[in-house]
Amino acid sequence: MEKKTRGFSFYADIYRKILVQDLKTKMSYRADFIISTIGMIMVNLSGFVTFLILFRNFPTINGWDYYHMLFLYGFSLVALTPVQCFFDNNWNLRFMVTSGDFIKYCFRPVNVFFYFMSEVFDVKGLGQLAFGIGTLIYAWAHIGIPVTALTIGKLLVFLLTASLFMIALMNAAAATCFWIRNSGYVMVIMFRFKDFAKYPSSIFSGIFKFLFTFIIPIAFIAYYPSLVILDPDNVPLLSWLSPFIGILFFWLSYKFWMLGVRKYDFTGS
Amino acid sequence: MEDQALVMKNVCKDFKVLNRHEGLKGSIQDLFSRDYKTISAVKDVSLEVARGEIIGYLGPNGAGKSTTIKMMTGVLEPTSGEILVNGKVPYKNRTENCENIGVVFGQRSQLWWSLPLIESFKLLRDLYMVPQQQYEDMIELYRSLVDIEPIINKPVRQMSLGQRTLSDILAAFIHNPAIVFLDEPTIGLDVSMKDKIRALIKGLNKEKNTTVILTTHDMGDVDALCRRIVIIDKGMKIYDNDIEHLKGYFGSYRTLHMKLADDTWEQMLIDEKTTDVMQVITEKQKVTKIKDIRLEEISTEEVIKKIYEGEAV
Repeated sequence: MEKKTRGFSFYADIYRKILVQDLKTKMSYRADFIISTIGMIMVNLSGFVTFLILFRNFPTINGWDYYHMLFLYGFSLVALTPVQCFFDNNWNLRFMVTSGDFIKYCFRPVNVFFYFMSEVFDVKGLGQLAFGIGTLIYAWAHIGIPVTALTIGKLLVFLLTASLFMIALMNAAAATCFWIRNSGYVMVIMFRFKDFAKYPSSIFSGIFKFLFTFIIPIAFIAYYPSLVILDPDNVPLLSWLSPFIGILFFWLSYKFWMLGVRKYDFTGS
Repeated sequence: MEDQALVMKNVCKDFKVLNRHEGLKGSIQDLFSRDYKTISAVKDVSLEVARGEIIGYLGPNGAGKSTTIKMMTGVLEPTSGEILVNGKVPYKNRTENCENIGVVFGQRSQLWWSLPLIESFKLLRDLYMVPQQQYEDMIELYRSLVDIEPIINKPVRQMSLGQRTLSDILAAFIHNPAIVFLDEPTIGLDVSMKDKIRALIKGLNKEKNTTVILTTHDMGDVDALCRRIVIIDKGMKIYDNDIEHLKGYFGSYRTLHMKLADDTWEQMLIDEKTTDVMQVITEKQKVTKIKDIRLEEISTEEVIKKIYEGEAV
């Protein structure tokens, strides 16, 4: 029997095929599709309105003015899109683990993590993406950041970095279900934490700053990466390091997730 | 070794379970406790299954069936002992092992819930990297064995339980695996669907010479499909031989059916060595009228029941 190798292109191809099929079925449930799109727009609008009201009352927060804050807001929205679109199945993990249904992911000759995540693509994230990009461009233009290949390149790299942190956070939170029963709370708490990402980390002091930087790294979801673009003359070391820390956190969360799979004894069946 | 699809040698599996304490104080204690007890789920099981064989893997609930299956499929690692599936150690390389096995759980679909069946098949073809020609031949074979037209374009979520099981079985064979594990494939199905499923399994086994390991509580499945059965209880293998041999052991047993005055059938298992059938009938006739009598050989179901209840083999 010849050994079959499955590389990156294999996985990319499989993901694309599953995605196309999934989108096709989603479109066929038209009412469902429209309602969830409307819902998604409302959620984003209400978040945005809260933000505006806040800024009517506090024109600057710790030296950050309206457009800078808007930039940070848009940045975090875009950065949160991948976790929403591609890793949404994390929310279902604990149900599958307790019911024993999770075992089905172990019988295919592909990576369990990949196979599990590939099953769900959440379209709602796309609206958030559009909203985030709009906000980002608007703020970008008002701040007057030059549009060069370098700034755009930086933006993309650091957006990706920020996404990695959020994905890592949700992976780790979801994987706790392999050990503890009420892991739903852990996920909800982590998910709530992301709201702090919309504010400059410099408003937190002492213990919280440490906590949000190194323990639950939400400061990396928008604050540190966006400084590279907003304040290019004054970039802290942590910002430059963030792509590497992001990859490290992602890798750690993946290992943690897979460790859970190995450890799980599948007694649910 | 080459013609063995599956070999197990002295396989044991222990689980460590935390000794739980009662009450609030106990729960806090449990948080830090290292007080584990060991539970042996599988004890010293050895087994060989030849290529193309269908074996019935039986045992009461909690006997260690699923644990064994999980070890065979590479999901669990045995505590001690050796397992070879297609000549390879399953848990050492899970992915490679998965190329060569198919798994069906009676009540849990492994297909993409919202996709039409044919799309699931195509995705599986790509996942297992099945050559196009081989894939088409397989679909052709399916067509010759069952009527797949009504379900081929139906999303799995809209299927009846029977259709879903049928689909899952077909999906498990698509990459032409050497071994297929079927866990209660006919559970919850009506009689005609059961027949259909059994015929399909038999057909696929014959055409592809696939080894089938069938766990079930339905003796109808066993009668229709298996010549050899393996029975496991409390983690130990207690029987491994032809089903006829087993029936021979209980050869003196007869099932007596009697239709009573109120048109109900009463059923009794009688060991002719110790009890006289005629005497039982006479005794009964003293109490009520008997309209009809049928005497049968012991059924597989009753043989298995006897073994579960602990009658020596």
